[in-house]
Parts: sequence; structure tokens; C-alpha cells
Amino acid sequence: MITKQILENIEGEASVHFKIKDGLVDFSTISFPHFRGIETILEGKNILDALVITPRVCGICGHAHLMATTRAIEDAYKNMGVDFSLSDKSKKIREFTLIMETIQNHFKWLYMVMMPEIAKLTTNEIPYKPLKGAFASSIASKAIAVFGGQWPHSSYMIPGGITCDPTNIDIIKAQSYVEELIEFFQKESLGIELEKFLSMQTCKEFNELDSDISILERALISADMQNKGFAYDRFLIMGEHNFTKASKVNHTRVFSVDSKYISVVNSYSPREITYAKNALYKDDYYETGSLARMMSISFPMVRNIHRRYKDSAYSRVMARVFEIGYLLNHSLKLLDNISISEDSIISLPDVKNLTSTGIGIVEAPRGPLIHKVEVEQGIIKNYTIITPTQFNIGSSTPTKLTPVQLSMKATTQKEALFIFRTFDVCSVCTTH
Amino acid sequence: MPSKQDNKLKLLWLQGVTCNGNTHSFLNLQNIEQLLNKFEILYIPAFSTNYTIDKIVKCSLDCDILIFEGAYDPFMKRAGVNLKELLFHYMKDSKQIIALGSCASFGGVFKESAPDRITGLLFNENTLTTTFLDYKDKIINLSGCPIHPEWLAYVLNMLLKNINIELDDLYRPIELYSTLAHHGCTRNEYFEWKIDAKKFGLKEGCLFYKQGCRAPMTHSSCNKILWNDESSKTRVGTPCFGCTEPDFPRDNLFQTKTNMSIPQDIPVGVPKRSYLTMAGIAKTFHIKRLEGKLIDYKTDS
Repeated sequence: MITKQILENIEGEASVHFKIKDGLVDFSTISFPHFRGIETILEGKNILDALVITPRVCGICGHAHLMATTRAIEDAYKNMGVDFSLSDKSKKIREFTLIMETIQNHFKWLYMVMMPEIAKLTTNEIPYKPLKGAFASSIASKAIAVFGGQWPHSSYMIPGGITCDPTNIDIIKAQSYVEELIEFFQKESLGIELEKFLSMQTCKEFNELDSDISILERALISADMQNKGFAYDRFLIMGEHNFTKASKVNHTRVFSVDSKYISVVNSYSPREITYAKNALYKDDYYETGSLARMMSISFPMVRNIHRRYKDSAYSRVMARVFEIGYLLNHSLKLLDNISISEDSIISLPDVKNLTSTGIGIVEAPRGPLIHKVEVEQGIIKNYTIITPTQFNIGSSTPTKLTPVQLSMKATTQKEALFIFRTFDVCSVCTTH
Repeated sequence: MPSKQDNKLKLLWLQGVTCNGNTHSFLNLQNIEQLLNKFEILYIPAFSTNYTIDKIVKCSLDCDILIFEGAYDPFMKRAGVNLKELLFHYMKDSKQIIALGSCASFGGVFKESAPDRITGLLFNENTLTTTFLDYKDKIINLSGCPIHPEWLAYVLNMLLKNINIELDDLYRPIELYSTLAHHGCTRNEYFEWKIDAKKFGLKEGCLFYKQGCRAPMTHSSCNKILWNDESSKTRVGTPCFGCTEPDFPRDNLFQTKTNMSIPQDIPVGVPKRSYLTMAGIAKTFHIKRLEGKLIDYKTDS
């Protein structure tokens, strides 16, 4: 029996076609029906205009697109022989606002997607508070706006640095927003101090808590999600940042990576038109996102969870919760050491003289986001975007399943739909 | 006896070709929950609401307020149903239609992928289209890429209060779009004395002369109702890209087009001769305070 399910409350629209055998998913294909054509829109434009256009790929992770564009243009300058290094100040501020966007994303996913969806799989009482997530996210957005002017759709990162020239007043303001977020996370989500949460050793410690996170954790266990939703137990992190490690992780072993091994192939979607393509590394499918990033840095509690429950849906969800806490802590450290008198920007040669190619890779909330540019005298000849959802939520044939297809196999359709969402789907990015 | 729910205005949010940017901007609204509680929410794509998209596309319901986010593509389908059919159904009985964002208002960024086909709901850039012309008196354009959450909150509150919203020629509320993005910009003094920003990444200087800033030609309240209650593009040294206007996105956004060193486009409503005279005089003065750095940090902090 084949059934089709349209997915809502994700970024954009997707549908999953299930082949059900004996009540369980035997095979599934995924289609993303809406195409927008950003790559074509960019062709022929001034390369700097991409700093305004690419954030509009996505309303929830546009800042990651901005950083990918900026890095791709900077890489093109370097490939043309222009030698420069960014000021420490601009690097830290870029990193800070990127992290804030990820935190914004994770809070929305937690309260607007995960909590309401797990409620469908358990008899446990789950509070329905989607806008609680939006409130937390709005604080993270304010922290971005201190430096970026606004969120969504800021264009404050430009080749060579950042457009803002903050004072200590701004730094203190941003710090106070992070402190407000930590306060919110402790009081409204965790029920314990952040420090205590980050130093948790075992899942048993959740039993002592009475909070949104412990409700979620218990619901995941009650839905048996620690025994379901397994993918290949191999992970990919491609973006260079100081909060994670660009690497591939096979089970727990960490290896180096090179962007030259990334490829894309057409999706297999026989029942419905799709505009998505699958992304692979060395011809294999890898899981990307929070679980991957937390495994790459051997974050103790995530490693413990993984030791016990491997790359189950439970591990995927809880890794994200821990990543919120880890990134909040990390972002405060970033702001602690900013030299305010450093230059915000290093001047680069006029873009009209830029004839080169470049690649920009960023860890977006869902994993590696890759922008490739080909520029001739400052004009875009070719622009290619590969998004994290293309790694996680590809649609392939039964002989070589993508992470999401494998993770949904042999579960009920209801469970499969939840597992699908544990990857955090971004349809608008995927069909850029 | 009718319940309280029965008296609420029914709100429905549909999407065309979009990035969801207006949705995420609106989610930043600080009192979003109180505001949404005043309506009966039929459907908002971002989170679970009374009905699923499968139910919405059956066209068996009606709404009082229709929010349309994204550009209009006549070939597009939502959950297998033609967008055109959906829009006609829900527009018919609605009291008000809000074209949310520049894509819905004028075509915006996504118009560029198929310029012959994709438009705004009522406008193709600054020209009225015919498809939904019969409903023009119900349509309000809230342009901006994205909209500021307070702009949508303003319109929704006005509808709740049943106060007439006066519109400009492009169907935008004049209370939001009568001012320019330039109004309230912290760099205004540099504009007055014609002192340009020497490069990006500085507190000092106006971005209008070289860096492409469109704020003096852009109708919006970005420097009046600050973004995220915090700031704006120009306040952080990013030029205004004119995203509330029908010609967004223009080309060469980080560069001012000039003729003999004079910006080709000058502030809205200012006669060119007056502008040139004024600029010429202002440029003859040398004001040391504005030519140097605002803050000279003696020690690294």
C-alpha cells in the first residue's frame, strides 16, 4: 500500500510517499514541490548583490546563507592571489550572530515542532506552547540585530569583515541578551542551572527534573524513540568554526574532510515532481546537524547518549537540546574577548577586478551549507548552493537509502513522520 | 448562545513563492500571543492551527482576513490545488486581504526567476495587474523584505478596532510608509553636511554618496520603528537596499550610481537644482568634528 503525507509546520512544504508492508514502512520517497530559482536569479548580477539575495533563500537560516556568500567571495579573492586575514573582532562578531541564528532556529524547532509532534506518539501530557519558542527566538534575533541591524535578512557581513563598528555599549547589550536567553533556558526549558545541565553525565539525571526538557525526554522514551530512527551512524561537519570541528565521524572515530568530495545527484521521486537533489560525501550519505557537531567535539553527555542509544531519534533530539546550552555558553565567551578598537573591515581590491572561483562553507543550524561562485570581472557567471537538508533528507532508490529514508524504515507511518522531523526539515533551502 | 470564538475575526495565512521571511519576522513580535488570541486562527503555516492544509485546500471554509505571503505564480499549487483557485475562494468573502512582504506586494526577489509570469498579488512592480483586480479595494500592501512585525501588528489592530487604514498610491498604509527610511537614521548629520563614509565598517559618514544607500528614496519606517526593538541596517553601517519599493531588488546594491560625482537618484520630492545648490554649499564647509573619528580609543579594551 502506498500512502502520501503532506508535511506542514516545517520550513516550506514537503511530501513523503510511504510504501507500507505489514503495517510498517518498507520504503519511502520524499518530494519537495516548490522551486524558486535563486541560483538563476543570481547569474549576471554583481557578486556583491549576492549578499542581499542569498539571505532571502531562507527566512529561518538566511544569516547562514549570508555568511556562506561572504566566505565564497573571500575565497575567490584568495584564489586570485589576494592575501588578507580578517580582524579578530569581525571574525568573532560573525561567529556570534551565526550562533544566535542557530539558537533561534533550535528554540522554534523545540517548541513549535518537537513538543507538539511527540504529543502524537505518547499518552504523556505534553504542554502545547509553540509561541514560547518564538519568544526565546526573538531574544536571539535581538542579539543579532545589535550587530546585524535586523533579523531576518541582514546583510552586514561583507567581504573583508562586517559593516558595523560597535562600541562597548553594543557588546554589553548583546551580552545581556545572551544572559536573558540563558535565564529563559534555565527557568522555562531546563529547570536547572545551565552549568549543571552541561555537566550532566547520564540520562538518569533527567528523572530528577520537572521541566519542558524532562517532559520531552520522558515522552521520547515512552515513544521508544531511543530504539528507533537510526541512520548510518556516520556524520559530516564541513564548516570551519570554533564551536565545532570540520570532520566526518564514523560511529565515534573522527576523520578529516575535504570539500572536493561533496557531490550531488538527482533525487529518486517517481510519484511526484521534486526539485531537490541529494548531497553526498565520497559517494556516501551522511547525517549532518547538531548530533554530528556534538559528536565531532566529543561533547561528554552527547557521547554518553550515543554510546547507549547510537544515532536514534532520541539522540538526534537531545543533541540539539544540548547544543542550545553549549552554544549559549560559547557565545558569551566570544563576546568576552572582543578588541573594540580593531578594524571592522579589511579593504579588498575593487570587485570589478575579481575574476575567480570560490567556495564558502558554513555550519548552518541543520549542517553544512555550501555556496560555490564563479565570478568574471565582478559579475556572477555561476552560483551553486548545496544545503544541509540535501544531505539528511535526500530521496534515493531502495539500494542506497538516504539518512532519513533509512531512519524511517520498519517504523509505523506515525513514528516515521516524527522521525522525519527530528532532522529538522528546511524545504525552502532545499529547493532554493 | 454564540461563544466568544464565534465573534472573533477569522484569520487565514496562505503562501505563494516565499522564503518564509515574513513569517519569521512576525514571530519576533513581542506580544504575538496576545494579538493572535484576538483572532480565530484558521491556518498559519508555521505552527499547528485549527485546520490542516489538506482541509484548507478543500475550500469549504471562509475567512475574514486573508494574509498572503510570497509572490504570486499562476502555475503554483498548494497541497495539489491551484493557488489561483485557493486565492479566489478565500478572497471572495474576506473583509480584508493583506499582501505581506515585497514579493506579495510587487513580485520582489522571486519575481526575477520567472519575470513574465510571477507578480505580486495586485501589482507587477508598480503596475496594477488584472487577475485579482476585482478585489483591489480589499487589498493592503505591506511591502518590505521582510515586513517589520509591528507593521503587521498595526494593520491587524486597526482591523480589530475597525478603523479605516489610509493607503498611498501603491496601496500601502500611509502611517507606515509616508516617512522615508532616512528619517531617524543616526547618520543624518553626515548627510546634511555631505560627508560620505570613507569605507564600510565605520561609525562615521553617510552611505548615500558611495555605498548605495537608498534610504532617502525609500518609503518605510525602518529608522523610526526599529528592527528587533534594537537597530536598523543604516545604524549598523549597511546601506538601505530600498526593499519596500516596487523596484526591489535593484542591481549593484552596494554602490551609488553617480553622474559627475553626484548621486543619480536624489531624495524623494527634492528638486535636483535645489539639491545641487544645497549640496554645493554644504561641501564648501569643513567641519572638523564630522571629518574625524567619533571615538578614538586610546587603549585597546
